Amino acid sequence: MPEVSLIWIEEAGLEGLDPAKAAKKAGVALSDGGLVEAAVVTTTEARAPRSLVNRLKGYPVKWLDLAAEVGGGPLALRQARAAAAVARAAGSAALGTMAQRYTRQPNQEVLVAGRGLAAVAAAHQAAALGHPVLLALETTRARAACADEKPAEVKRALAGLPAQVEVVTGTELVELLGAGGDFQARLQGPRRTSRRRFGAVVLAPPSAYAVPGDMPATAEDITLPVSRLKPKQYQGGEQWLQAAVIAPLGPGATAHGFARAVTAALALQKRPRVQVTLFLGEAKVASEGGERLYRDARRQGVLAMRVEPGGLRVSRDGRKLSFDDPVLGEPVDLRPDLVVLSEEVTGRAPAWLDNPLVTTAWDQDLPDHPRLQAGRTARSGLYLIGGARGAAPGDPRRAQAAAAAADLHGLLSGEAVAVPAVRDVLCASCLTCVRVCPHGVVCYAEDHIAPAPAACLACGVCTAECPAEAIAPPGWSNREMIASLAAGLKAAAGDKLVLFACRNSGMDAARALSLAGHQWPKGLLMVPVNCAGRVGVQLILRALSLGAGGVLVAGCHQGNCRSLNGNLRAKLRSGEAADLLAQVGGRPEQVRFMHLASNQPRALAQAVAELAQTAGEK
Amino acid sequence: MAVKTIKTPAVIIGGGVAGLAAAIDLSRRGLSSLVVERGPRLGGRVADFCCKATDSCVRCGACRLADLVRRVAARPEIAIYTSAKPVAAEADGDGWRLTLEPQRNNGPAPVVELAGGPLPRRSQVQAGAVILAVGATPFDPSAKSRFGYRRVPGVVSALELEGALEHSLAELAGGRDPRRVAFIQCVGSRDESLGHLYCSRVCCGFALRMARVIQARRPGTEITFFHMDVQTYGRAWAGELAEMREQMNFVRAMPGEVTAGPGGPQVVYAAGGRSQTAEFDLVVLSQGMRPPVGAAALSQLFACTRTSDGFLGSDAEPVASGAAGVFIAGSARGPMSIVESIEHGAVAAAAAAGHLQPLVREAAHA
Repeated sequence: MPEVSLIWIEEAGLEGLDPAKAAKKAGVALSDGGLVEAAVVTTTEARAPRSLVNRLKGYPVKWLDLAAEVGGGPLALRQARAAAAVARAAGSAALGTMAQRYTRQPNQEVLVAGRGLAAVAAAHQAAALGHPVLLALETTRARAACADEKPAEVKRALAGLPAQVEVVTGTELVELLGAGGDFQARLQGPRRTSRRRFGAVVLAPPSAYAVPGDMPATAEDITLPVSRLKPKQYQGGEQWLQAAVIAPLGPGATAHGFARAVTAALALQKRPRVQVTLFLGEAKVASEGGERLYRDARRQGVLAMRVEPGGLRVSRDGRKLSFDDPVLGEPVDLRPDLVVLSEEVTGRAPAWLDNPLVTTAWDQDLPDHPRLQAGRTARSGLYLIGGARGAAPGDPRRAQAAAAAADLHGLLSGEAVAVPAVRDVLCASCLTCVRVCPHGVVCYAEDHIAPAPAACLACGVCTAECPAEAIAPPGWSNREMIASLAAGLKAAAGDKLVLFACRNSGMDAARALSLAGHQWPKGLLMVPVNCAGRVGVQLILRALSLGAGGVLVAGCHQGNCRSLNGNLRAKLRSGEAADLLAQVGGRPEQVRFMHLASNQPRALAQAVAELAQTAGEK
Repeated sequence: MAVKTIKTPAVIIGGGVAGLAAAIDLSRRGLSSLVVERGPRLGGRVADFCCKATDSCVRCGACRLADLVRRVAARPEIAIYTSAKPVAAEADGDGWRLTLEPQRNNGPAPVVELAGGPLPRRSQVQAGAVILAVGATPFDPSAKSRFGYRRVPGVVSALELEGALEHSLAELAGGRDPRRVAFIQCVGSRDESLGHLYCSRVCCGFALRMARVIQARRPGTEITFFHMDVQTYGRAWAGELAEMREQMNFVRAMPGEVTAGPGGPQVVYAAGGRSQTAEFDLVVLSQGMRPPVGAAALSQLFACTRTSDGFLGSDAEPVASGAAGVFIAGSARGPMSIVESIEHGAVAAAAAAGHLQPLVREAAHA
């Protein structure tokens, strides 16, 4: 085992601490600036001087955000906590884990599959960032626009594509395996099926306008959707022409759908001797210029009529609309000559994505997940953009495409961490890791587990769930984590506690507290994890058996986990560990899980204080 | 004393979520940037927002700030100056030459920042592109005097409620825990008398999220929601809204006035053709967003246009400013949510990269 040196970087939050004392207590040598075998550095890799980062490349190094773990309070307490934190980091550094580099270079090629402006824009942006791109259009070039788009706009975009974009037409993506850096795609062309590998895949499924199902059923000969309306064809004669425009009434109404309905109403109202009544549930004016447009329409004479859900009734022949006028307070009938129904953008992900084995919890997790922007999906390297993602035609789709291209470029140029290491001798090919990986990183190919090269976020869910301890992102194996727990708890003073904190929530909250001078319990050992899902039953029980009087796991709120359900797994496993404790006569309240956000430091402080109290009540 | 000149591909004015997201996306595209923040700390307004999760995440995006700050800190190609402000700018060939001046910030000292530090002295910046990400300004509810803000005890702004939400509401409501809380929406938005012909988009969601937190904390608290139309957007909202309609009292009316009553502020509104009065312990005014305070000065400094609503940029394009090499990101461009601001920052970065790299330029114009 290599000897671990402590490299002390003075920074805010570490004032007054004695590096030599911390090193001695943690059982490591304080670096004199010379060569080291393995090291703990008291800052993060991002904040460390570049020269140091370069000098340590290839050595087993644990970057320790010491300021975040020390906190405030009396110097003796901070000194003790610093020693425990250094010991914890040294524990795994002593095992000599090398920072693993990519074994395979990620494939740089990008597949954009689907149609429409989003697809063409994504292909263009990815090419501009230096990636060879295959744009697989489901249609011909001439019909590349989605049904809700302007064909000329898409045609212009297609004509402007640079040479790095290879365009194939009449081709559909029918199967996709793998993840960021190494996707295997099966493409069904007009004549043959081909297989190709890509580093990233952008899906832009077709979208269209559709009349929502809850619209009143008026007679067919007087009814048409907004997209088929040609206002110039209408004008009144002796009698004014009565037109009814029905804006989206249901709860799924969008501002884009509302603005289209108002635009149609306004265009009709401007025709000679035409009177438009606009029926609406809520005025969804949150689109840009929406309020202005709505006001203009009313100024031009459009009668805006609010109806409650189900408040717009249609006669049996479909020619009479009845509603309660909210101003008059009495029922009113309207016999329109024309009924225009508004529409909403609809589009859905390809059917093969609905397979839960391919993509985890697609429907529940995709809409508006706060951590899955820029068209990202939980599966690293796979993007879903366009109408299927709720983007309105035009600029919103271009914007999504640009953001997705930047994101995939980051991924393929090394933003993801090194690939998980698989110990084949231990692996029983049970495929647990393949099933649980939220990012689709782990695949089974040619008789062994083969992780994709640029997809792993090191959430560690596979490690927590693997029954054979055969897989772990570099630095996150049970062996290393237990070594660090053992060393840290040994050096910790007083009542020992362990806080497993997710880097996306718990650790940010802890850092905020520490930097504000919060006084942590003396014996608290913080263990940052990339996702609470890394914390399995084994780690929790080990922490207890190594002397911890209490264990708290802090993960993100439900629906906020970057790894979809890592937080829920952690909650489940914490519960299991607590049950086990109860069964062997222990105290289940020694193990706790909490949902937390990065901006809830007070909640964390309180939970830690409560845990300390429980642990103290032996 | 010689003035130091910093050369950088892009300078980003504003260190809120949009500015930070733009910096990260530029760096992903291989471009360095300098973020200039007027205040003493990064994060802009989002830094004041607490988590509104009750039993699960409500997707407000406020927690993403910590994530952005961490990622900015991890990228050495992003330089940051806090307590700094551009005081002069001139177009210089294909780019811009800016003069930055240190700002005295009298507010509380920042908690130790992960990245960057205050601008030490007056400096010059030579940049190829400028991204203006200065955010929006909240509407001051006292400009609508009939709602009793700063006149009637127990009437507060939504941002004041936000500030108290994690602590105690008693102080806002005159010392007792409020049992009857009213929200009045569209204060300063959708208001022709003010010339604000726009919806601020986020206030309905903001108010309803806070209402839920209050109800979760103190079950049985009566919530009344005075509104014109509920502007919830995002697909996951539809179901949640139906649930909230059951738990809260949704009143479609804009109150005429708020007066001081014996037991708390009284809201006068019209319903069913009659005038009604209801008493509450706390009345929350959901103030809208206004164009950034410095919009006029900035648009003059950078010769950029304003949207019809007075925000920075142009109606026709999402991030363009009318001036070559100047782009707008986030709610400086118009009301948008935290999550939207982060995405908008990425779009502004793509456009700025297009200005800086001819190949990307073609892509943006296609």
